[in-house]
Amino acid sequence: MNRNQKIKLYLFMFLFMATIVFAILFPRLTLPFGFSYILYLMCKPFTLKLTTGTRKQRFIYFILMMVGIGFLSLPLIATLYNVDTDFSKLSNQLPEVQKMLSDKFFAFKVQIFEKYGFRLNLDPVTFIMEKLESQGAIFLSQFPDFVSTIFEWLLLVPLFLYFLFMESQRFSRRFLEAIPNSIFEKSYVLFSQFNTKFGEYIIAKFIEATILGSLVTLGLLLIGFPYPFILGFVAGVTNILPYIGPFLGLIPAVLVALMSKDPNVSMISMLVIYSLANLIDMLLVFPLLVSKIVNLHPIVVVVSIIIGSQLGGIVGMIVIIPFIAFFKLLFKEIYKDLSVNL
Amino acid sequence: MSYEKDMMDKLGRGESTEDRLDIPILKYMWDASPLSFLAKESYHEFFKKITFLNSFSDNEVRLFTKFLHRREFMPNETIFKQGDSGYGFYFIFSGAVNIYANYNTQSDELGDLVIRLEKRQYFGEMGLLEEFNRRSATIVAAESTILLGIFKPDLDRMLETQPVLGAKFLRETALIMANRMGQLTREIVGLKKKVRELEQRV
Repeated sequence: MNRNQKIKLYLFMFLFMATIVFAILFPRLTLPFGFSYILYLMCKPFTLKLTTGTRKQRFIYFILMMVGIGFLSLPLIATLYNVDTDFSKLSNQLPEVQKMLSDKFFAFKVQIFEKYGFRLNLDPVTFIMEKLESQGAIFLSQFPDFVSTIFEWLLLVPLFLYFLFMESQRFSRRFLEAIPNSIFEKSYVLFSQFNTKFGEYIIAKFIEATILGSLVTLGLLLIGFPYPFILGFVAGVTNILPYIGPFLGLIPAVLVALMSKDPNVSMISMLVIYSLANLIDMLLVFPLLVSKIVNLHPIVVVVSIIIGSQLGGIVGMIVIIPFIAFFKLLFKEIYKDLSVNL
Repeated sequence: MSYEKDMMDKLGRGESTEDRLDIPILKYMWDASPLSFLAKESYHEFFKKITFLNSFSDNEVRLFTKFLHRREFMPNETIFKQGDSGYGFYFIFSGAVNIYANYNTQSDELGDLVIRLEKRQYFGEMGLLEEFNRRSATIVAAESTILLGIFKPDLDRMLETQPVLGAKFLRETALIMANRMGQLTREIVGLKKKVRELEQRV
């Protein structure tokens, strides 16, 4: 490799690293862009079918964007409205819950004193309530920021998505042209494989979450459990996270069962429904849809999720898996090359 | 499957044709015109003169060029080395390349010069078709060279979006490989004959 080629390679590496640093430093841009990219990959197979052989691409993408914005905005507005009413309901119920918990704990303290003669000087209920109030205050103080972020995303995501649909091919061509010859072939193939793997993973997880969410909703409807749609939706969304997701999805249902005074609400039948839905997911849906795409050891998956949550919160937890699968692919390629050249 | 035939078919079926000007097609037609005064050779002319793509119509050549990557190499720049993973098939658009066998990984020596390929010749078709291909020779640009490459992801995309073109290209590539196999077989037969003659003399 001569001097010019070396300079070109180092310059490319520097620009690549600078892009990564920029992405880490400006999450307000990176996260909506990442989300748009996920949506783009999800829509790509359908839009490819719609736009192949036509020159009305711009119009089709515009219509798709409008439909997408509608789909995103309606549940968002509905959720914001419900969050508001649920908050007021919860704040009305909180003193009642505090009193019930305090009474129960006082009875427990009396029992301990009568049995063992030991006086418990703890008051965990007040402590938890104080914590909840302070956390609630923090959340309320940050609520305007949260709402402004949502509106920022509502503006940025369609914009990025439109850019990705219209310009991604030209943009990726320009990017590929900048890659130095010495690493072009491998980089291009790896870049394409990553795109394919990432897209397949996102679509597979989306289908898996929809199937599990529908199963939970259907099961809860059958046993007459309250809030079947919301709980099914939560179970579906949390299921995107492997291993940890099913337990996270169960928490709201357990809380509803504990708080409910209705004798028809059975904790056991709810647990059976969740277990059955997760069993179908584990034995049928996951092996058929996801495992072939990812093919990672369970320990690697769990460790990756923890790292992902530290780096990028919930989005990080979701996207880290295909990234790790890509790095596995990358190391395999490097190892293969080294074993030939040594 | 020419562009003109497409348009005539559409008109025949009573479908509307695009009434807007398609600038890329116009530009392509301008470049492809035999009366074009441009000194530079267009992709169209280049591919029309490549024998194995003779069966491609004008429109197919136009579509095919969309899947290609233009790579520029300086004199003595390595395109790939023997033993590297192979993913692409290259056409020499301008310049020339040298092919070397017996590359030494320890000393980084190129090995023995086997052949020089010139403009409109091609190499690396095995890399496009084989799942785990290892390059069987080292290829170095003999002078300032422009290559047009097509790689595995492009072939996948071509088969997905232009299946007829993809199938046609695969058939032609398979024909090249079949020709090379035939050539190799003839060489092996000739070599065996020579070995037998030598054995008889000894």
